[in-house]
Amino acid sequence: MAVTDPPERRALPVLAGAPAFDAPLYRTLLSAPGLSVLAGALDELLAWGSRNALWVFPMATSCCGIELMAAAASRVDLDRMGTIVRATPRQADVMVVAGTITVKMAPRVKALWEQMPEPRWCIAMGSCAISGDFYRNLYSVIPGIDTVIPVDVYVPGCPPNPEALMHGLLRLQEKIKATRAGTFAAPELNPALLTTTRPSIARVVDADRDPTQSDQQTASADHATASDKTDARPEGSPEPAAYEAVAPDASPARDFADLVRDEFGVTDIPAGMAPLVETAKHVALARRLRALGYKQLVYVVVSHYAAKTGARAAPERFELACAVRTVGEGSRVAAWRLALEPGEAVPTLVGVYAGADWQEREQYDLTGVRFAGHPDLRRIMMPEDWVGHPLRKDYAADTACPPWR
Amino acid sequence: MQTQSARRGRVDPHLSMRDYDPEADLMLLHFGPQHPSTHGVFRMDLHLDGEVVVKATPYLGYLHRAVEKLCERLTYVQQTPVVDKNDYVAPMTNEQALNMAFEKLLNVEVPRRARWVRTLFAELQRIASHLLWLGTFALDLGGALGGGSTLFIHTFRERELILDLFEEVTGARFHYNTHTLGGNRHDLPAGFDVKVKAALAEIEARLDGYETMTLHNSIFVARTRGVGVLDGELALELGITGPILRASGVDHDLRRDAPYGAYDELKVRVAVEQGGDCYARAKVRVAEMRDSIRLVREAIEGVPEGPLCGFKPIRLVGQVKATAGQVYVAIETPRGELGTFVIASPDNPTAPHRLKIRSPSLHALSAIPYIVPGATVSDAVAILGSLDPIMGEVDR
Repeated sequence: MAVTDPPERRALPVLAGAPAFDAPLYRTLLSAPGLSVLAGALDELLAWGSRNALWVFPMATSCCGIELMAAAASRVDLDRMGTIVRATPRQADVMVVAGTITVKMAPRVKALWEQMPEPRWCIAMGSCAISGDFYRNLYSVIPGIDTVIPVDVYVPGCPPNPEALMHGLLRLQEKIKATRAGTFAAPELNPALLTTTRPSIARVVDADRDPTQSDQQTASADHATASDKTDARPEGSPEPAAYEAVAPDASPARDFADLVRDEFGVTDIPAGMAPLVETAKHVALARRLRALGYKQLVYVVVSHYAAKTGARAAPERFELACAVRTVGEGSRVAAWRLALEPGEAVPTLVGVYAGADWQEREQYDLTGVRFAGHPDLRRIMMPEDWVGHPLRKDYAADTACPPWR
Repeated sequence: MQTQSARRGRVDPHLSMRDYDPEADLMLLHFGPQHPSTHGVFRMDLHLDGEVVVKATPYLGYLHRAVEKLCERLTYVQQTPVVDKNDYVAPMTNEQALNMAFEKLLNVEVPRRARWVRTLFAELQRIASHLLWLGTFALDLGGALGGGSTLFIHTFRERELILDLFEEVTGARFHYNTHTLGGNRHDLPAGFDVKVKAALAEIEARLDGYETMTLHNSIFVARTRGVGVLDGELALELGITGPILRASGVDHDLRRDAPYGAYDELKVRVAVEQGGDCYARAKVRVAEMRDSIRLVREAIEGVPEGPLCGFKPIRLVGQVKATAGQVYVAIETPRGELGTFVIASPDNPTAPHRLKIRSPSLHALSAIPYIVPGATVSDAVAILGSLDPIMGEVDR
């Protein structure tokens, strides 16, 4: 490897670049015979210690975190390399970023990195931390942790085996040793590595991307931390719906299709689809089904249909699908749909099924459909001041979110 | 202090802090999103009166990877490796739920052998997942169990045995990408049954020790019994499924109640506990591990001969098309009911118009505002651990 550092820095690498040691007093002291040799030997000792006691701060967000745990567990046992996992950044030397980092998480990663004492290193573990993997062109994922903090070693894999992580730590030890000795060549200075370390992944960009969307996102500069507000239930939101106990209906089990035909005015049920119920009868149907023993809310899903022009012209619309389930032997699912105009609010099911709370919040967050009477209609997945609703068809999947992506 | 509303004496999660006693000297503790005991990147704000939690507010979305948006842009055959990453502790079941939904949408017949192999993998995955849960739960309970990490070190040793089996079949420790439309991609290698039985024998022998270390350990019992009690009615309403629901006394298991795969022939013994606390949840999961060992033994004996995939080989990713239909298919994963909801539309026949993954962990976490108040901070950690959330499938 090419030697890049000037020879005078090799004598006292630990002092190089530290302003305090540039003071004339130190210069005089170190010019004393033998003292610089002693300092050099001490520095060797420090370097040996720092590379053989790499304490890891696990920035484990997802799948790679499980392999990081497996690496620390019995079979691979990182402890024998002096590498132990510390739960706080203030006691750690290496941050192992194991997993996907989202725009909501990135500011926290940066804050934690800044809390780590120097010297500190970073290992990007797995393809999400390296480049964002197949999430890299999606609105909520940052394309690699090296856009936020400097990375020393990249460990590729999805996820990398524990052995691969161990190899990465060994490479980091080599790097620390070479850096202290002044012989480390950064990849961009090493001509032999230039072609291999610069992958050029073409960025896939939506052709129909709306540039104003990204501009709006930039305008809300504090987007990623605004959700730090505590107890953020909006002022003036409706009081919690009074919970109505539903008395069980002892009448014999009825076919769901017959029930919606007879009692809820559904005339036509298309094959392979759930019956379409009037929005006004949504809560009544849920309450009726709950009385009939459908005790569990399974899902609430809103799907968006963009406006179409041309031969099959159709206006923009939304559709809500909802299902409930009976429990125990022979469990049955009853599902129905609601057709919604843009801007139309759906009556909330929170009063009937407590589980509708988060389900409806998620659908509101991702599609923008409002639920009338919901006591706590906030975003749940995206930061509070996010612009736009990602699961709408007109929302570009690769919407930018400066400064993070 | 007003912490309960008229809603059947339950804690009301929608009460704002301004509804509480303004004189009370409450402390706010941000718990997470980066903390080893949050099992990923989960955050809750705990309002504390001394060491007792008065109000717990969960926050999600720190791992929102836009999987549903991504799935709308990929064809039906490209999505298996994407959903693998949702529940990264049990990827096998993720693949299975997704592909079963697509098979129902496209009317693809799954051969009997593939159904049995899927069931075999799902049960092995359940053991591996519960082993990981047991180890991390012991970490959550901390020093009470021999420094905390003892059990973690032990259960990971056994979990590696199962990962080795999967690695032999699929080439990957997890994120297998082995389920495909109409069946499975990788057949069982020769001598697989011998290796499975050897691994099961070892796990079963060690399971007795774990039971002694946890369920029969007075410290473990003191830390878990009566902690985080969730009543069955509330659990049902919140959509909670799986071991948490069964620990609250509700006898519901999709493997038995809505059979899929080979469960019409393999009979599941559903473990039900009445306590509803962390101890009951631990007991249910340990019982499920034992039952899964039995099921794997039966499945490996009973895997029939025949084709492993009932769908014609796919040459182009866009050749699989659906223009209409709405399906929902749910399976019982180690965490509960994992469902895949798909709507097809003529606008884009090669990809779902809307795909929603109904994850059990999201519903499990929604119990936190109800069951954490009244517990201490250390109990809050135990409660969170007993819910076994995987943030990948919570946030998707």
